[in-house]
Amino acid sequence: MKSVWISLGAFVAASVGTGCLAASVQFDVRDEAGKPLTDAVLFLESPEAAKAVKPLQGAEMAQQGKEFVPRVLVVTKGTELAFPNRDKVRHHVYSFSPAKKFELKLYAGTPANPVLFDQPGVVLLGCNIHDSMVGWVLVVNTPYHGLSQAGRLTLDNVPAGNYRLRSWHPGLPVGAAALDQALVVPASGSVTASVRMAGLTP
Amino acid sequence: MIPRLKRGASSLITRLVGLSLLLLLVVQIAGFGVVRQSIEANARRQVARELDIAEHVWERMLAQKVEQLRDSATLLAADYGFRSAINSGDVETVQSVLENHGSRIGATVTAFLDPQFKVTASSLADEKMGLDQRLIADLPAYLSRNPTGAPLIVIEGVPHQFVMVPMRAPLVIGWVLMGFPVSQDLGKEMGLLLQVDVVLVTQSEGQRRLVFSTTTPEVSQRALAQATGAELSGGSELVLARHVPMKSRNGEVETILLRSAEEVLAPYRRLQWLLALISGGGLLLVALGSSLVARRITTPLRDLLLATQRLAVGEYQAPIAHLERRDEIGNLARAFDHMRVDIDHQQSEIRHLAYWDRLTGLPNRERFREALEQAIRDNTPLARPLAVVSLDLDRFKHVNDVLGYAFGDRLLQAVAGRLQNLVTQPGDLVARRGGNEFAVLLQGCDAKAALEFTQRIARAFEVPLAFDDQTIDLSAGMGVACWPADADNADLLLSRSEIAMYTAKRKLSGALLYDAAFDSASGQMLSLLTEMRRAVEHNELRLFLQPKVSLPGGQVLAAEALVRWQHPQRGLVPPMDFIPFAEQTGFVRQLTLWMFEAATRLIAGLPEPLAGLRISINLSTRDLLDPELSTRLGTLLQRHEVRPERFCLEITESAIMDDPQRAETMLNRLSEQGFKLSIDDFGTGYSSLAYLKRLPVDELKIDKSFVMGMEKDEDDAKIVRSTIDLAHNLGLSVVAEGVESAAIMERLGQLQCDEAQGYHISRPLPAEAFLTWCAQQTAAAATAA
Repeated sequence: MKSVWISLGAFVAASVGTGCLAASVQFDVRDEAGKPLTDAVLFLESPEAAKAVKPLQGAEMAQQGKEFVPRVLVVTKGTELAFPNRDKVRHHVYSFSPAKKFELKLYAGTPANPVLFDQPGVVLLGCNIHDSMVGWVLVVNTPYHGLSQAGRLTLDNVPAGNYRLRSWHPGLPVGAAALDQALVVPASGSVTASVRMAGLTP
Repeated sequence: MIPRLKRGASSLITRLVGLSLLLLLVVQIAGFGVVRQSIEANARRQVARELDIAEHVWERMLAQKVEQLRDSATLLAADYGFRSAINSGDVETVQSVLENHGSRIGATVTAFLDPQFKVTASSLADEKMGLDQRLIADLPAYLSRNPTGAPLIVIEGVPHQFVMVPMRAPLVIGWVLMGFPVSQDLGKEMGLLLQVDVVLVTQSEGQRRLVFSTTTPEVSQRALAQATGAELSGGSELVLARHVPMKSRNGEVETILLRSAEEVLAPYRRLQWLLALISGGGLLLVALGSSLVARRITTPLRDLLLATQRLAVGEYQAPIAHLERRDEIGNLARAFDHMRVDIDHQQSEIRHLAYWDRLTGLPNRERFREALEQAIRDNTPLARPLAVVSLDLDRFKHVNDVLGYAFGDRLLQAVAGRLQNLVTQPGDLVARRGGNEFAVLLQGCDAKAALEFTQRIARAFEVPLAFDDQTIDLSAGMGVACWPADADNADLLLSRSEIAMYTAKRKLSGALLYDAAFDSASGQMLSLLTEMRRAVEHNELRLFLQPKVSLPGGQVLAAEALVRWQHPQRGLVPPMDFIPFAEQTGFVRQLTLWMFEAATRLIAGLPEPLAGLRISINLSTRDLLDPELSTRLGTLLQRHEVRPERFCLEITESAIMDDPQRAETMLNRLSEQGFKLSIDDFGTGYSSLAYLKRLPVDELKIDKSFVMGMEKDEDDAKIVRSTIDLAHNLGLSVVAEGVESAAIMERLGQLQCDEAQGYHISRPLPAEAFLTWCAQQTAAAATAA
């Protein structure tokens, strides 16, 4: 899946890059204690970015081994997300999050209709049968987004401009909005954005 | 005096039993009191301990309740429907779901808080919650720190327990706060667990309010009214109370735990009852036991008392009970028994003395009488006759006097032996009835057989008794009376056999069968005695005098005083009709005294020519044997101032010979007094001259049988002459009586008899006539001279 996003990102950057100036953004995400964070969602918002956003195709949040896979998924607004069940047991996936309230009553395999996420925000997923299953779908209104790995994330081909750097992590309190900081992306080269996330619960 | 048996015995039992019961009762009551006290103290301790436990349990129950409520709330919060509704975003829906799902698990207050504990929705309207808002405000923070131990909050007077649980979807998306009233069910559960009543009370602004109670309204009210104290006052039962203050955020909350000690006491009470029952049983047993013991003492005492009563009425045969006992009672019984045996022994000796004659070894008069009564009783149903022979030895007194009492005793023993030899039939009995009288009881014997038996006695007596060198002829007067022919009872039979015997003796006829005629004779005699007494008192007796004249010359020198009885109905009673009877009965002594009185009076009043007249008075044996005779006569003469020389006392030979010694003594005394003494009827008795010679006699009076016979019988004349000579030789004067003719008178004169008396001279004359006769004689003599 990661390879898909990377190739997708590369595609976007390439397409944007063809028309205008672009640079790569390198993120350094740490918690209060300075520990690098994994699964932190970083996305850059701007009115231009909102215009450039497009629904993702073929995105899916699978259930496997009574876990949501991936645990944290970032999708763009308008994406229709499939919930394939790869377990032998049935699942009852739901969300009470304001960004998207839904439920997929007991099912096996892949439900016929994918779920449309048309509103940006944090959607907390649970399974009514397996309370231990927790998953997040972050619906963003920008094509520039990504998940950190060990505190690192690089976004290429981000058009130059002023952005709001939003950062979110599952350790943030439930319902809390993504952190917000300004980021200027230069026309070329790369920029490094350092994000410190406070108030995380481990 | 024998004490009243029952009372004495029972009072001893009562005292013995009562004392032991009283002591036991005191001990029991003391024990009972101590037990009761310690039971109550124990019960209080136990109840207090139980209340300790109850207090802990109550606290634990409240804590558990919180946990339980939290679990329920957790489940509720996990309910998908509830979660969906809460997250629906519709205020009214949220509110209704809070109420609905809260009531499902009994919560009266339900609120939903966001993850930051801000209330987003509540089942209570704001105005209701208004007061409590502040209280609730910091509650979530507190509860999040102490999920189990939240203080109570009083809402509308009811203490509530609060719990707060997170709502996960699947992470914590909010909090559910729930408030539950502390309910009566919890109290009831307490009651089920520990038999403790729970009263929940709130207090605010000094006002105590009852929240709930598991006990009766009455007890609840008392508990409510009483703020402190370990014991619930009022009421009959002992109820201990425990006031448990409870943490509360508003107002005071207190749980009062009540435990009735009665339930705890109940088994003890049963135990006490049992104890009382055992005590009662013990008392009963002790009462029984001690009364048994007491009875073991008093029963023998009563027996002994009964035994003494038996002894008192003369029953000595039955041995006294309880002799075998080895205790004090036994000793007492043995002592009593010894006493019984001793008394019995003495009694039989006394009885022997009372019933047996010591001299002869025969039954005595009394024993004979009883044997006779018994025989009559025994023979009555058989219609078998029986006879009694009464026997009186002749001349026994004479033998006694002459040969001595020892000889007399031997005589009686010998007679007893002979009689006993004759009595061979079983049931027949010989008895000595006293003196020289014997009696024989012959059973199954009629009159004829009884008379034959008397013949056998007579034959047995034919052989004379020989003791040492003395030989005694035996003879006896015998009387026979038969039952039932002659008498129907013992006494009458005895007395009739005696009458027959006396009659036989009088008639000298050996043995006589009782005849009713004897009885009438004796009856007449009895009435005669009465009449004679009356004669003396009514002056019916008359003094007659028969002159004695001197020979020769015919001068009246003396007179013999004689008594005549002028009976008011029968006229003049002849002397023979009453003198012998008077002698027999002893009445003759009164007659003699009367004679003396009359003669003395006569002498005192004699005219001058008769101044020397001597009066002869007859003395009987009875008179002679009366030791007072001389004194009496002396007194009499002294009273009338008459000298004793004027009297001549005539005594028959037989009168003297009845008791020669006493007679001699009396005669000597009379002679010394100055009385002249004369032997009357001389020649008819057995007196020896040697004896007569010793007597102070002045005169002999020749018996008239010789005097009257001397005209025709020369022997009589010789007797008269030799008597006169004899008397003269002894220095005595001689009087002849029975002079009935002049020839005899003349002959007596020739024989130098001193005095004569008889019809030829004069019959006995009344005193007046005698005086007249004397005067005529004196005149005639004077004329002759």
